[in-house]
Amino acid sequence: MRIRKSEAGNCLIIERTQHAKKYRLVIDRKLCVGCELCSLVCPREALETKRQLKQRGQKAACPTVDVEETKCDYCGICSAICPFGAAQVNIDGRDVEVVVEKESFPQLIHEISVDTEKCPPDCVECEKACPLEIISVKSNPKTKSVIVDAQEEKCPACHICEAKCPEDAIHIRNIFTGKLKINREKCPSSCQDCLDVCPIPNALYLSDKDGKIYVNEQFCTYCGACRIACPEEGALELSRATIYHTPVRSGAWNKALEKLTSTTEMTKELRGKGRKRTMEAVKRRMMERKK
Amino acid sequence: MNLKKEEPRIGVFVCHCGLNIAGVIDVKAVIEYAKTLPGVVYTKDNRYTCADPGQEEIRKAIKELKLNRVVVAACSPRMHEPTFRKTCAEANLNPFFFEMANIREFSSWCHPSTPKEATEKAKEIVRMAVAKARLLQPLKEIEVPVTDRALVIGGGIAGINSALDLAEMGYKVFLLEKTESIGGHMAQLDKTFPTLDCSICIEGPKMVDVGRHSNIEIISYADLVSVSGYVGNFKVKIRKNPRYVIKDNCTGCGECREACPIEYPNEWDINMGVRKAISIPFEQAVPLVYTVNMDHCIECFKCVDACGARRAINFEQSPEEVELDVGAIVVATGFDVYLPVEDPLYGYGKYDNVITALEFERLILAAGPTGGKVIRFSDGKKPHTVAFIQCVGSRNLKKYEYCSGFCCMYALKNAILLKEKYKDEVEVYIIYMDIRAHFKGYEEFYRRARNLGVNFIRGRTSHILEDAETKNLTIRAEDMTLNQPIELPAEMVVLCTAAVPKSDAADMARALNISRGTDGFFMESHPKLKPMDTPADGIFLAGACQAPKDIPYSVSQGSGAAARAATILSKEKWKIEPIVANVDPEKCRNTKVKCGICAERCPYGAIEALEGKPAEVLTAMCHGCGTCVAECPADAITQNHFTDEQIFAQISAALDENPENKILGFLCNWCCYAGADLAGTSRFEYPPLIRPIRLMCSGRVDRDFVLEAFRLGAGMVLIGACHLPYDCHYISGNWKMKARMDALAPMLEKLGLSPQRFRVEYVSAAEGLKFAELMKEMGGQLKELGPEKISAENAKIKPILDRMMAKKKSTGS
Repeated sequence: MRIRKSEAGNCLIIERTQHAKKYRLVIDRKLCVGCELCSLVCPREALETKRQLKQRGQKAACPTVDVEETKCDYCGICSAICPFGAAQVNIDGRDVEVVVEKESFPQLIHEISVDTEKCPPDCVECEKACPLEIISVKSNPKTKSVIVDAQEEKCPACHICEAKCPEDAIHIRNIFTGKLKINREKCPSSCQDCLDVCPIPNALYLSDKDGKIYVNEQFCTYCGACRIACPEEGALELSRATIYHTPVRSGAWNKALEKLTSTTEMTKELRGKGRKRTMEAVKRRMMERKK
Repeated sequence: MNLKKEEPRIGVFVCHCGLNIAGVIDVKAVIEYAKTLPGVVYTKDNRYTCADPGQEEIRKAIKELKLNRVVVAACSPRMHEPTFRKTCAEANLNPFFFEMANIREFSSWCHPSTPKEATEKAKEIVRMAVAKARLLQPLKEIEVPVTDRALVIGGGIAGINSALDLAEMGYKVFLLEKTESIGGHMAQLDKTFPTLDCSICIEGPKMVDVGRHSNIEIISYADLVSVSGYVGNFKVKIRKNPRYVIKDNCTGCGECREACPIEYPNEWDINMGVRKAISIPFEQAVPLVYTVNMDHCIECFKCVDACGARRAINFEQSPEEVELDVGAIVVATGFDVYLPVEDPLYGYGKYDNVITALEFERLILAAGPTGGKVIRFSDGKKPHTVAFIQCVGSRNLKKYEYCSGFCCMYALKNAILLKEKYKDEVEVYIIYMDIRAHFKGYEEFYRRARNLGVNFIRGRTSHILEDAETKNLTIRAEDMTLNQPIELPAEMVVLCTAAVPKSDAADMARALNISRGTDGFFMESHPKLKPMDTPADGIFLAGACQAPKDIPYSVSQGSGAAARAATILSKEKWKIEPIVANVDPEKCRNTKVKCGICAERCPYGAIEALEGKPAEVLTAMCHGCGTCVAECPADAITQNHFTDEQIFAQISAALDENPENKILGFLCNWCCYAGADLAGTSRFEYPPLIRPIRLMCSGRVDRDFVLEAFRLGAGMVLIGACHLPYDCHYISGNWKMKARMDALAPMLEKLGLSPQRFRVEYVSAAEGLKFAELMKEMGGQLKELGPEKISAENAKIKPILDRMMAKKKSTGS
């Protein structure tokens, strides 16, 4: 068995090669925004999102993800949870999320609906607006029809395109909902690291009036990159409330939910499902944590 | 009858031991000398005292001459003391009226080139023995009940055979296995030499027999926590690790495994294949119970759904500790395979197509991770040339000095398998030093490999290179037949690596209180005559935990150890040596002041010192180390057969003549004395200066012994103990001695004694060479100091020591 870690083509690649099988996890750094989601849910705690050292006088750089290659089991949870589609597991040459196949983990539902009937001719506002550059608009001059091609699996639902669309033709369904709050008394002045690392322009903004940072929750994807970059503990409060995903009955998902949202939110979901055993498991974990 | 007052009538029997003793020592002179010793009424020399005619002489003399003490000057008491005690008992003499003078291991064998000095030393050893014999007292052996159940530690092929044999004899057996399934290394192998029958096909049925036997309880996935007690009455603590699967509910159907999403490298497959987070290590596992690996489980509970109504999965399980009572223990913990990761020579771990032989077994095995396809790691293709390299780690003074025994044979087997499987498509090379094929059918097997066209190259590998692109290998070696360096291209290299002691062998040895040799394997009581016994009564060894062994050898030893264990289990009572401690309630000061030092220092908690009452030894728990005797400030405790009086008599007998030229040694029975014995057995020669006094434990060495020795003018005093921190046969007697002597040494120095004259040394039973070297070193120092300086120092300190010892004698014994 060989376990290797390498960086190639702006990708972080870890591999486990055995005589019988080959495993590979690729994290595409072009797509990865350095959010906290995968490191939060990885059951082996193999992933870690690290804040980057800030160079004096420069903008804060996006946090980066690192993988401890000896810990990874290539289960595919990171790939399933990444709203930006930055992680991919490959086993014996096949792109796969084993946990999803075995119904141990849900997939996020990315839902982009475009009413192209409404699209004005030659309008490319959404394409221009998309901060992740995953929308391309093609128009067919012959039929006068418009095709809006959006890579759904890479869309974290920031709604920027929605806001920019002049005809209200594009609609994105939220994946995460929640609350992002800035505690003014803790927020250090003249720091705008959160703003620097936020992958979505205008989700955070610097107010002209008081020079402080404000949240525009309309665009926030609740990815948590800002929380990692924030140098002051408790200055940023992020809580997720709901996650839009395919239905699943799995303790692993409950565990992930607990980390992503809060124990209250999760127990709500569990109570709804009437899952006694998983409730017990949660209690047990809470007890262990207390110890 | 008070034998103490009976006038001693001592018989001294000096053994020639063929020429082993008589070849160096003048036996006649020793006999003549013995006649002059007080109390000696009869002397006799024998060619072989331990043989039946020799023993008959002793019995005859006891009866006819009314001997009431017997001294045999021959080999080590560790060898034949039990024999001669029995001889005495047969002639109706209490066996504890016997004393042994070790003039073979301690004289003839280690001083062959100085026969005169060796004879003098032998005389003095006899004098010491006679001095002790005069004061011997009759003792009654202590009988303890025997629990007729056994514990076998390790479920490999040796342990399996031990367990089955004991169970068939009718004893209840607990078979403790650390991993999830019994089977051991044998279950990992493909075919077995020299008959090429499939390994698991012949072991599998035995494993099933073990699982089904009504007398065997398999305790798998469990660790040994501690062992206490003594022969016939061991208390064993075991921790069962949680499988998160209820054994009785699991049917072994494997539906949970199907549902599980998580795969992790299967250690049992040497990480060449994978297993699920809920799985069994291999299909034939016994007991067939699935295990959840919590390190990898993501707790999705899909397995619970799959298990359904069987309800076999329980995530609430936690570790469970159980205590077992057993009468005997068989240790069959096996070996590990050496991985030469740090050796740049072979490129293991660096080059893709260099693998170990155990990895090769998994590759060629039809049920293995590749389905029996021998493929290269680098490209998954079949290799066209395979080279086996022998003695990787073994027979190497820098790594493991010993021969691992079975590597030649498995290399031959694997070569034959390759040849038979792929015929001329594969070229097979074996690079070897010597082919060792010395058991039944092995040589014929070697011939078979040669006839099949396996290429044998005699020589040592110097280097392996890898082609970065093709990942093909080039072996640089020296061909001893051609007497020139060669380069051999190979597409796959298989390293036949050493069998090494289990990584946890040190912990196991400590828990069981057994010793390990310099090679790290467990040490047997006697390399030839007690190959399965350990120095700890009631604990036996089987299989490769003692030294590398192949399957037939391990099987026979497993059965042998079972038979040895049965000698104890079959008895209702077992006799143990009555060399325990006794407290004289008259002298014990715990009645007046709060003392309890003995209770505090006893390594076994065998002494009770209640306030206001004299301390009391709980005889069944006393192991007879004598630490309490040395610690008692009121000299109120005595150890049977090792009384202060007897030891003082030995000291003065040893130092009667020319004391300044002698080293008086207090050596513990289990380590230093045994190490000295080994120096003799190995014929390591050293200067004949030491006069040994054998004690069961260095913890018995009283400060007064040292003071008395210097009072009488000893040139040097040596205390030889087991290694710190864990080697002591009595848990911590050596530590107690160390504390005592650490306080004494500066005092002696202050009195004017050269510090090199008082030594505390730690020598294990395996360190014969160290003992010999120590003797040479001390001999050199003694010479350097010179008798004048020593006499001068002695003259200075004698009055002080006289006063100290006189005070002792008036108040104490």
